Parts: sequence; C-alpha cells; structure tokens
Amino acid sequence: MIRLESVTKEYAQETVAVRDASFEVQKGEFVFLVGPSGSGKSTLLRLMNRQESPERGEVWVAGRNINEMPDSKVPYLRRTLGNVFQDYKLLPNKTVFENVAFALEVIGKPKHLIAQQVPAVLELVGLEDKTDRFPHQLSGGEQQRVSIARAFVNRPLILLADEPTGNLDPSTGEGIMRLLERINQTGTTIVMATHDHRIVNMLRKRVIQLDRGVIVRDQERGVYE
Amino acid sequence: MILGRISYAFREMWASFKRNITLTAAAILTSAVSLLLVGTTFLIQRAFDNLLVQWRGDVEMIVFVRADATESQVDNIESALKDQPTVIDGEKLKYLNQKQSFDEAKKIFAGDPNTLSLLTEETIPSQFKVVPITKDPELVRSLAEQFQTLPGVESVALAEDQFRVIAKLSSFVRTVTIGMSLVLLAVAVGLIWNTIRTAMFARRREIEVMKLVGATNWFIRVPFMLEGLLQGLIGAVVSCGGLWGLNRAWTNGVASFKPGTGISALVVPSGYVSGVMVILIALGAIAGAVGSGIAASRFLDV
Ligand SMILES: Nc1ncnc2c1ncn2[C@@H]1O[C@H](COP(=O)(O)OP(=O)(O)O)[C@@H](O)[C@H]1O
Ligand SMILES: [Mg+2]
Repeated sequence: MIRLESVTKEYAQETVAVRDASFEVQKGEFVFLVGPSGSGKSTLLRLMNRQESPERGEVWVAGRNINEMPDSKVPYLRRTLGNVFQDYKLLPNKTVFENVAFALEVIGKPKHLIAQQVPAVLELVGLEDKTDRFPHQLSGGEQQRVSIARAFVNRPLILLADEPTGNLDPSTGEGIMRLLERINQTGTTIVMATHDHRIVNMLRKRVIQLDRGVIVRDQERGVYE
Repeated sequence: MILGRISYAFREMWASFKRNITLTAAAILTSAVSLLLVGTTFLIQRAFDNLLVQWRGDVEMIVFVRADATESQVDNIESALKDQPTVIDGEKLKYLNQKQSFDEAKKIFAGDPNTLSLLTEETIPSQFKVVPITKDPELVRSLAEQFQTLPGVESVALAEDQFRVIAKLSSFVRTVTIGMSLVLLAVAVGLIWNTIRTAMFARRREIEVMKLVGATNWFIRVPFMLEGLLQGLIGAVVSCGGLWGLNRAWTNGVASFKPGTGISALVVPSGYVSGVMVILIALGAIAGAVGSGIAASRFLDV
C-alpha cells in the first residue's frame, strides 16, 4: 500500500529531516512512527501525501510513484488518504456536521450522499448527539473525533495520523486509540506518528523508530524503547 | 453536481465580498476612476478629431469647388494646383468628391443638426485638400487669394492658427490622459490583487483543509476569481454611469454655443459613447480577472 525506497528529504542544506529511509506498509496494517521531537516523523507523513517531495528516492502509494504524478493528479491521490493532526485543524465557524460535510462538498460529492454519509460517520465516532455544536463547544477528545470523522468520511484507503493524542489526557487518548483501531479493523491502513510511550506499549503494533532522520528500528509488535 | 458547484462558487464569492467590504470598495472605486479616465480620453479624442477632421494630415488650405462646376473646371483647378511645385506638395494633394465631403460634414456638424439638415450630397461643395511644401505661410496665403477667382471655385479656406494650437493641445492631452489611465488601471489591478490575496489569507485554514481532503486547485480558485471579476465589472459599470453624465453635461454645454461657430463639432455621437462603454466593461472584466488570477495562482503555489 505504501512503499518508500531510499528516501532522503533535506530542508535547508544543513537539515536532513529523513535520510535514506526504506520500508513497506501492507494493506490493513497499523504502524507507529516513533522517535523524539525533530526526528522526522511528520516529514515522513508529509512525504506520503505529497505535501513534501524527496530529494532522492521514491515514494509509492497505492501502486503509484507519487513523485512522478503531475500536480493536477495530487487532489485525487489525497482523496484516497485521510489526515488527522495533533491540533485537529477544524474550521471554527462551522458546526460538527458542516466540518465533516465540508470534506465531501469540496470534492464535489452530491448532497444526498453527504446527507447519508456524514451522520453515519458521526455515529461511528460517537458524536451523533453533537452534530450542531461548534468546535469551541467540544472537549479536545471530541474535537479529535470530529477530525477523525472528517478524515474517514470518504472511506480512504490510508489514514495518516500525526500525534493525534498529543494534546489529550491519557484516558481521552486511549479512547481515540480504540477508535483508530476500529477504523483499522475495517481494512483501512493506518500510519501514526507519536512519541507517547504508553500508547505504543499498550497496543503492540509494528514500530518504526527514527533517530535524527534515520530509521534505527523496524519491529513487529514492538514497544517504545 | 455541476449546479451544486456553481452555487457553491457564488455563495463563497458573495460571503467573501461582504467580509472585505473596505478593501473591496477601494478596489472598485479605483477601477471606476481609472476606467472613467480611459473613457474620457476616448471622448476627448473623438471630439478633437471631429474638430480637426478637415485639416488632418498637415492640410493647410482647402479649395472648395462649386457643386455646379463642370468637369473641365475641376480638372483646371487640379492642374493649376499642381502647377505650383514650389508651394504645393503635388503628391499629397487630395480630392474629396461630393459624397466624401458629405461624410466629412456629418462629423463636423455632429452637434449642429440644423446646419447639417441644410446640406445634401448634391448641394455640398467638393474639395481639394492642399498640403504646402513651403514653410512660408505668406506664399500659401497669396496663392489662396489667387485661386479665389478661378472659375468653379466657391471659396478657399486656410487653416487658422487656432487649429494648429488645438492639434498640439490634442496630442498633449492624449499623451497625458492615456499615461494617467494606464497608471490608474495598473493600480486598480494591484488593488484587486491585494483584496483577493487578503481574502485568501483570511481563509487560509479553510484552503489548507480543502487541499488536504483533495479539492482541486480550480475548485478553490474559482470563487476568488469570480470575486475579482465582479469587482472589475462593478467598477466598469460605475465608470459607464460617470461617462454618461459627463457626456451629457458636455453636450449641453456645447449646445449653448452659437451654431456655426465650429464648436458644435465637439459633440460626440451617442453611438460612439455606447461603443466606449462596451470597451470599458471589457477592460474592467479583464482587470478583475488578471488581478484575482495572479493572486489565486500565487497563493495556491505555496
Ligand atoms: N518546513 C520545514 N522547513 C525546514 N525545516 C523543517 C521543516 N519541517 C521540519 N523541519 C526540520 O526537519 C526535522 C524533522 O522535523 P519533523 O519531521 O517535524 O520531526 P518530528 O515530526 O519527528 O518532530 C527537524 O529538524 C525540523 O526542524
Ligand atoms: Mg511532528
């Protein structure tokens, strides 16, 4: 589903954010990217949805080399990917329903489909009672659920999550992880960056560990060391 | 689905339009003023043109030939003119027959329909337009007196000094107004660009989300481009209103002069004014599309 071949990403001449990274993620896998702040986790995720392009190496997603893809095709690549962030990136002037519907509206989905899919996904994340609230009327955990609903509403093949529990207290974070596991069980591939030891050790999924841009460990059912 | 997209684009455009009302007003006003200046330039040029049409191309002397002159009389006048190679430029000598003279008269008397109604293609004199080769005005003047008495000649007119002044003034005014309107038009494009850039910056979070969920650049861009286009168009409509008012006041002013003084030639026909308005609308739309187009593509590249 995702394959990186000797990928190197440099920002300025001095900062090498990712150095010669290679790995493959199978369909339906759940993978943790771990490592201290600044080790290149977010950069790796941004390489997978073409927010960044590598200096060297190739990134393959769903069977296509996404760096050879013309700019005009990138929106269609992104429709097969969902993105979840530490800061949720919700639109403050839209309700829960509207925030999720927005993701379908702007890719031209018809109204009747929106009316059908949005309530379904809001029920999946457990927010069916709060569809008309605004983000500031929700707790952090609830806001993250909205953002997961928005990422998942179009049934992407892959969900990219960048420290989704980073702003949440431990028990709320666990709730988010249970939700992500459920989404994973529907067949959606999940790549999640985190430096939360507890969560990694609890779930025992595959762990790819980074240290200053270099992959130093790739382990099935791993823990955070 | 197409309808949904169109209504989305217009809804977004309108919301953004209201949000940035001050910047929008400034952009519209500048477009209006610059386009009004463009339109005024056209009208002033046309007015001067009417006034100077008889004397275009360095013509200094006109020999009017009687409507009832015989062909041989006309030929005689022509050869007499060509017989003066030291005073007259024979190459540039031009003859306007009665039909051509009548067409010219329609311009000269555009604002003086009474005089025009007295003229017909049959009664109007035909004319020789004479370009002198000498620099000495006295030579031309004495030649004019000489021709006055030739059989078939109705009258001889000399370009008066005020025409030369007006011709100079006209080209000066043209240079200045064209220069000023170009500068103002560039400012208008810049202001529209800035308004759209600001509108996009205000909505950068929305744009970021749109890009992440896979909206195409065109989908994101179109509402903003429509907004710029609308600003240019509104500016153009306002300038058309202004131009209409200016032209009315001008026409009324000219009409209060005594007919037959030549001032009436300064009236611009209303068909021409409508033509200029179409040009202004087109220019407004282009200015809006260019300004917002640049803003939208720059922003999305980031
Ligand atoms: N847009 C950027 N421009 C320049 N340097 C960047 C940029 N984004 C990240 N970096 C640098 O790249 C390195 C990896 O950053 P990042 O991928 O954000 O790490 P992590 O997500 O693991 O904290 C860091 O040294 C960071 O300073
Ligand atoms: Mg990060």
